[in-house]
Amino acid sequence: MRRIPPGLGPLLLGLGLAVASHPAVAALFGHEGASRPLTVGRLAELALNHVTLAATGLAVVTLLGVGLGLVATRARFAPFRGSIDTLAAFAQAVPPVVVVALALPVLGFGGPPTLLALTAYGIMPTLRGTVGALDAVSVEARQSAQAIGLTPAQILAYVELPLAAPGLIETLRTALILAVSVTAVGALAGASTLGTPIVAGLQNQNIAAMFQGALATAALAFLGDGLLLAIGGWLQPDHCLEAV
Amino acid sequence: MTARLLAGLSATVLLPAVLLLLPLLNVAPNRLVTGAPVMAADALGAWLWPAVALAALGPGLLAASRGRTAAGLAGFACLGAFALLLAGLGADATDLIAGKPFPTRARLASGAWAGGFVLIVTLAVAARRTRLPGGGVTAAAVVAGAIECLWMAGALDALSLAVELRARSDTLGAAIGEHLVLALGALLLAAGLTGGLALWRRGRGVVELTVSGVQVVPAVALLGALVAAVSALLSAAPLLRGYGLSALGSAPAVTGIAAYLLLPLWRGQQAARRAAGPGQHDAARALGLTRRQILVTIRLPLGAPDLLGGLRVAAVQALGLATLGALVGAGGLGTLVFDGMAQFAPDLILLGALPVILLSLTVEAALGRLEAALRRRWPR
Repeated sequence: MRRIPPGLGPLLLGLGLAVASHPAVAALFGHEGASRPLTVGRLAELALNHVTLAATGLAVVTLLGVGLGLVATRARFAPFRGSIDTLAAFAQAVPPVVVVALALPVLGFGGPPTLLALTAYGIMPTLRGTVGALDAVSVEARQSAQAIGLTPAQILAYVELPLAAPGLIETLRTALILAVSVTAVGALAGASTLGTPIVAGLQNQNIAAMFQGALATAALAFLGDGLLLAIGGWLQPDHCLEAV
Repeated sequence: MTARLLAGLSATVLLPAVLLLLPLLNVAPNRLVTGAPVMAADALGAWLWPAVALAALGPGLLAASRGRTAAGLAGFACLGAFALLLAGLGADATDLIAGKPFPTRARLASGAWAGGFVLIVTLAVAARRTRLPGGGVTAAAVVAGAIECLWMAGALDALSLAVELRARSDTLGAAIGEHLVLALGALLLAAGLTGGLALWRRGRGVVELTVSGVQVVPAVALLGALVAAVSALLSAAPLLRGYGLSALGSAPAVTGIAAYLLLPLWRGQQAARRAAGPGQHDAARALGLTRRQILVTIRLPLGAPDLLGGLRVAAVQALGLATLGALVGAGGLGTLVFDGMAQFAPDLILLGALPVILLSLTVEAALGRLEAALRRRWPR
């Protein structure tokens, strides 16, 4: 029996949700007076905006979070390690809506407060995940790499990073889901994302548009998650061995 | 040694730089505009040099020495600097709005927020480093007490946040109550569901998959979909309205929030289930304990920290997510935040946001301590 490829479930679910957000399907729900489904073009435009914002945020979070994680796991910074978990736990106590709201008076309406919230909310989980993934690399593997004379940079590139890859992909999945979710919240600050029809629909009772926005946002999250899971499955050590 | 001296010096410079280079207050003609910045020299007057000196001393001492006495002194310096900063800004705000038209507001600006934040973090680090039992709690209580004293003395009355608070004190109280009810209701619902699901032993895989799948759905989307689904249901079967079902309000909010709490609670419960190893089980059975005795004397105490860990994560998430409840008309502190965003009024946003942050931090700290205490009480 062949194994089901990882990520297939979320990808199929995402595709299904994306199809369900089509105006023809959404029009079946809520045919009361105020319901006006969005056209495919408008939905695609919002989705593109959503993806652009979330991807920018994800890139910033990945660079900073993984970069800081790599720095924090070097032996020299061992004394600071204990505080990372505490800091991460406390950073999570400030919900993304609140970060978006607090950034609003400083940065104005639209994309910037959303990006700031994305970065502020995403960095600590990514940092903690990276540290966890690199910590899971066995001491024996590191020591044997040292014993055969690899430099610290080589140990990082050839031993630590490949062995930590599954954990790093998990971390990126969390960051991606956070990015899609915070970008949807950004609609409250006036960013034009897939959250916009939800927020607007709640205000003017446009049930069909609300449905479309909700389904499309969820579809985006599942598609991204499935994609990362598939990449993670492809990076699995046993798969690489088969390929050799 | 040189490294430590350098660290001490740079830490000494940090806070004075923040306080002197960034504006401490903004004076605005009304509550909706940003206004003109006021720098430290004008804002603090005679309070300036004592406050800056203490603010330099605290972090400097903390970075230069790892001793407990130095940490204690640094803590006191931070406390003093914080109180002086707050009192000075309050006094200056009074001067600034005196004689101006009624809507004039003196708002704390970036320098004051950044400085206050660094002072509090330094104080927390210092309190931890003194290694006195209850040091952190005492420090938090002293900060709260200092703010309370200044508030009672009327020293803060002129700051814009206090003006906004006076205008909305009854709304704020009600909002905090609603917020807590929303979060607690969702937590109870999710805990009940998790307990029920745990009894369904065959379906553990399905439950795990569903519960983690929910996490992928963005909260705004889930709430929107819930409201849309219930209104579609209501328009299809208007009879249901008679039973009190409505598309907006606390029902969709509590359901939506509870859906996200299932994962941390479920994870905590599964970890607790595995907390007692096979060896401990066998030993208990060999001693002739009944299943009930094993549950009460071995499995529950060993699993309690894991259960509580799940509860802590879930509670903090519930308090944060409850902010979104205002989106679907469930009330809570989100009402103030969203009203503030709609009016572009920074003070109103802060008035809603600060209690959310304080509540989450308090719950996180309190349950975290309890969890650590349980782990010490019943080590594996």
